[in-house]
Amino acid sequence: MTSRTMQAHPAGEHEAAAVMQHGQSGMPTALVGMLLFIASEVMFFAGLFATYFNARASVGAGQWGPPEGAHELDLPLAAVLTAILVASSFTMQFGVWAIRRGDTGKLKLWTGITLALGALFLAGQLYDYSELGFGISDGVFGTTFYTLTGFHGAHVFGGTVGLTIVLARAMRGQFSARNHVAVEAVSMYWHFVDVVWIGVFSTIYLLR
Amino acid sequence: MLVLALAASGCLLPPDPATEAGQDVFNLYLLVLALAGIVFIGVEGFIIYAMLRYRRQPGDDVLPEQLHGNNTVEIIWTAIPTVIVLILFTFSVITLGEVEARADEPGATIEVEGFQWQWIFRYEEGATVTGAIGDPPTLLVPVGEPVRLVLTSLDVNHAFYVPQFLIKRDLIPVGEHGVPNELEFTVTEEGTYSGQCAEFCGDSHADMTFIVEAMPRAAYDEAIAALAAGEEPPTGDGGECEVNVEIKAENLAFDIDSFEVPADTAFCIAFENLENVPHNVAIYSGGDALFTGDILDTAGSVVYEVPALPAGEYRFICDVHPQDMVGDVTATE
Amino acid sequence: MATTTLEPRAGTYRRSWVIEWLTTVDHKKIGILYIVNSFLFFFAAGILALVIRTELAVPGLQIVDQATYNQAFTMHGTIMLFLFIIPALSGFGNYIVPLMLGAPDMAFPRINALSFWLLPLGGLLIFSGYLFGGAAAEGWTGYAPLTGQEYGTTPGTDLWIIGLTLVGTASILGAVNFIATIFKMRAPGMTLFRMPIFVWTVLVTAVLILLATPVLAAGLIALFIDRNYGGSFFDPTVGGNPILWQHIFWFFGHPEVYIVILPAMGVVSEILPVFSRKPLFGYKAFVFATIAIGLLSFSVWAHHMFTTGEVFLPFFAFMTALIAVPTGVKMFNWLATLWRGKLMLATPMLFALGFVSMFLIGGLSGVMLSSPPIDFHVQDTYFVVAHLHYVFFGGSVFGVFAATYYWFPKMTGRKLNEPLGKVHFWIHFIGFNLAFFPMHQLGLDGMPRRISDYSPDAGWTLLNFVSTIGAFMVAVSIIPFLINVIATFINGEPAGDDPWEGNTLEWATTSPPPPYNFDRLPPIHSERPLFFLTHGHGHAAERPADLEETEEEDVEHRGGLV
Repeated sequence: MTSRTMQAHPAGEHEAAAVMQHGQSGMPTALVGMLLFIASEVMFFAGLFATYFNARASVGAGQWGPPEGAHELDLPLAAVLTAILVASSFTMQFGVWAIRRGDTGKLKLWTGITLALGALFLAGQLYDYSELGFGISDGVFGTTFYTLTGFHGAHVFGGTVGLTIVLARAMRGQFSARNHVAVEAVSMYWHFVDVVWIGVFSTIYLLR
Repeated sequence: MLVLALAASGCLLPPDPATEAGQDVFNLYLLVLALAGIVFIGVEGFIIYAMLRYRRQPGDDVLPEQLHGNNTVEIIWTAIPTVIVLILFTFSVITLGEVEARADEPGATIEVEGFQWQWIFRYEEGATVTGAIGDPPTLLVPVGEPVRLVLTSLDVNHAFYVPQFLIKRDLIPVGEHGVPNELEFTVTEEGTYSGQCAEFCGDSHADMTFIVEAMPRAAYDEAIAALAAGEEPPTGDGGECEVNVEIKAENLAFDIDSFEVPADTAFCIAFENLENVPHNVAIYSGGDALFTGDILDTAGSVVYEVPALPAGEYRFICDVHPQDMVGDVTATE
Repeated sequence: MATTTLEPRAGTYRRSWVIEWLTTVDHKKIGILYIVNSFLFFFAAGILALVIRTELAVPGLQIVDQATYNQAFTMHGTIMLFLFIIPALSGFGNYIVPLMLGAPDMAFPRINALSFWLLPLGGLLIFSGYLFGGAAAEGWTGYAPLTGQEYGTTPGTDLWIIGLTLVGTASILGAVNFIATIFKMRAPGMTLFRMPIFVWTVLVTAVLILLATPVLAAGLIALFIDRNYGGSFFDPTVGGNPILWQHIFWFFGHPEVYIVILPAMGVVSEILPVFSRKPLFGYKAFVFATIAIGLLSFSVWAHHMFTTGEVFLPFFAFMTALIAVPTGVKMFNWLATLWRGKLMLATPMLFALGFVSMFLIGGLSGVMLSSPPIDFHVQDTYFVVAHLHYVFFGGSVFGVFAATYYWFPKMTGRKLNEPLGKVHFWIHFIGFNLAFFPMHQLGLDGMPRRISDYSPDAGWTLLNFVSTIGAFMVAVSIIPFLINVIATFINGEPAGDDPWEGNTLEWATTSPPPPYNFDRLPPIHSERPLFFLTHGHGHAAERPADLEETEEEDVEHRGGLV
């Protein structure tokens, strides 16, 4: 082994640091990580959906729904919540576009609005829970309903935590057009949470 | 070494099947075993050969030919196993059809209920047998006719398994909307076969045993009728009691008015009801019932297992006729 | 005239080794933590195995009561799978994959550390059941409704659920890390088809973990809700479905067994070529076979449920039988690697060959189980116990030991003692077969699994006794292994960079490597970059067809080599 061949690809500490930050090329490594994490979350919700559909299939036709004496599902409220969450995905994306242009001001604005919409969604969800009149221990419908919507809500909450951190970092001027991976990552997660809600809403409220 | 283990093992064969479908399964297994044996000898043989033949000699630094691969060979050893696998699959499906075949008119349909940790067998004719840990129940079946079992669990998952039938099926608690599992087989040989739960079901899973007894139709009908009438059909063990007291009931009276037993010793009462009037035997100390025997609604006999009594004086009565049918019991040291 | 010399303050950054190991984010240290932690759990679960085998040696309950026995086999299975085999292979992956890729570390070093520390935490939670009235005792498969609110009253089961959820989370985070590292941090020149096979198997394994483990998490959470919040997922008395648990569990459970075996297959695929002095035969076929196994593994889960009567048998029987094909392809490629090689039968090679022989037996019994009529007879019997131990133990655990002997020199700079290694191997190999081969016959004879005792009239006593002897032999074989490891740590023979004449990049740096892994990387033109460096251009047959070099480069390449 001569030094000439070994010099073909110098490594050492400097190279190491560069590789750690950006990978070799293409999508930033942190985003790859977020994408993979989202894939695992999709499978988690797939498992929960499986329990919902299995329970629904084994209960007699026309009998799938809230137990006797409880309110019917509040479709109008759920539709409003859907609109809120979909809107928040748009506002999140506006924020991403803003910071890609280097516009930190707009990033803060749109992130703040997204956060507010997310909080509004959660508040609406909790209000819905309080009106329903049945609980997780009230039969198979109750169990699957609360588990599916509850874990979705928990993920929305996780997203709001991420949004809060992004907002705080933006207010400290930590993002620029070239350096804002965290914003992209949180926005990916937020869109995922929205897509899952569309699935939950369609399944529980529309399909029934 | 492996050969020794194999020899000690006993040829890797299932038991000689005692059912029609069991024979089909056995034959399928032989086919698969033969194929597996060929592959095993081929591959393991090659490994041993390679270890001996291709061993690097000390001091030999020359590289062997650096073969990277060969597409033709890859195709061959992908295609041939695929064909073999398809053949095995086909035979499996055929055999499955034989195992899962359902007769239009089974010779007997018996409800099998599993619970932690024993079995209940309910026959069409009304007889019911319940097992206890250490006292497994016997499933009576007619030989040579399809027997259908309806399998229900009263609590957790269990499985009905008779090794000599080469079959098992789970008992799943199905709730209101569920359909219980069914199993059907035709026993080909008279005999007694042991069975056991084969789905882990809690603490005493290992004790959840049962027995299957296959007999000619005539004997089967007789045995079932006897069961239904309340008599115990003759089974292997009985009469474990050292002390036996015989009591008969007729004309609203017991035939004895006292008996004596050793103190602190469990004993048996062989009770015979000679009339179609309900009677039983129960033992009291003052107002407390120390033992209450099952009531025989019609004429029949039963053996009561009475727990040990401390030394003293007691009464025995018939709970149905406590004024007329009374007697004394003395337990002596 | 005063001269001022500027001297940087020469101080060595030091911290205590305890803090260093507790807070490290270096993949090499984390890898070692994984491996050491795994072996500790291995010994714990191994003791449980000895309890099981001692109890079963002869009929009658001699040393434990039924409840204790049931906890023993539950914990044995759970610990071996989730806290020994997968983390051990993960540990080797952690240490070796970045090195094989020519990378300085894993993509997310801090998440890497988190992944590790969740393991002892989860394991302790699972074990803590013993302190609270009884560990989980429903089998590692935890079937409902036995684990449900009404029948599963031990608090140990709740701790089992929580502990497993943590361990699963650790796995998923680790999978994210591996996939990101493999896709983003390969050294220049290392295309996907020039990666070492071990990296490919880790990649496919990570995808399986990523997609299957979350489903287990969903199931475990659902079970927890049933047990503690009055849920109705699996309880038939309130409208739930026990079979749903089995579907969810096995949808994860089957990819799980490939998660357990694929990295071990990768290890074997690294060792066989090095110790035969030939390349792996059919590298590309091997990669495609691995991917095929990964894909197929999601389609076979219900073959664990054939006897429930609620499964579409032909589909699952077909897919299960099909998975034998890519597995066979791998087997044949390994044999072809040996063919006309020059075999060096050192301890890593012995364990690798042992893997191939034992996994073959496990695979053949698996083909038998894939046939529903045969499965109806042997499901839930010792035949299945034999099968799973031949693939998990004869397969994965042999792979773990092979990896240990192979990479110990790289990790510590010292070579394990060869004669002791061989003693370990042979006692281990013989004991293993003595313990588990008779179980095939026991299952065929009808001995169910998970029973604490059996009748003396059953005719199972002799084989059980033989099996127990084998189990103790395996336990004894650990002694030379431990002596070897400890003695080598203290005073072992220095190994140098490349004691085995390896093919892959981990051998192109010091033993152990510096914190940043590589000073310089060799050029990467094939899946055996180090082989090329060592043995040079040789003759044309050595150069893989996809070598893309200009003639100029080629000349320089040749010219630069001694």
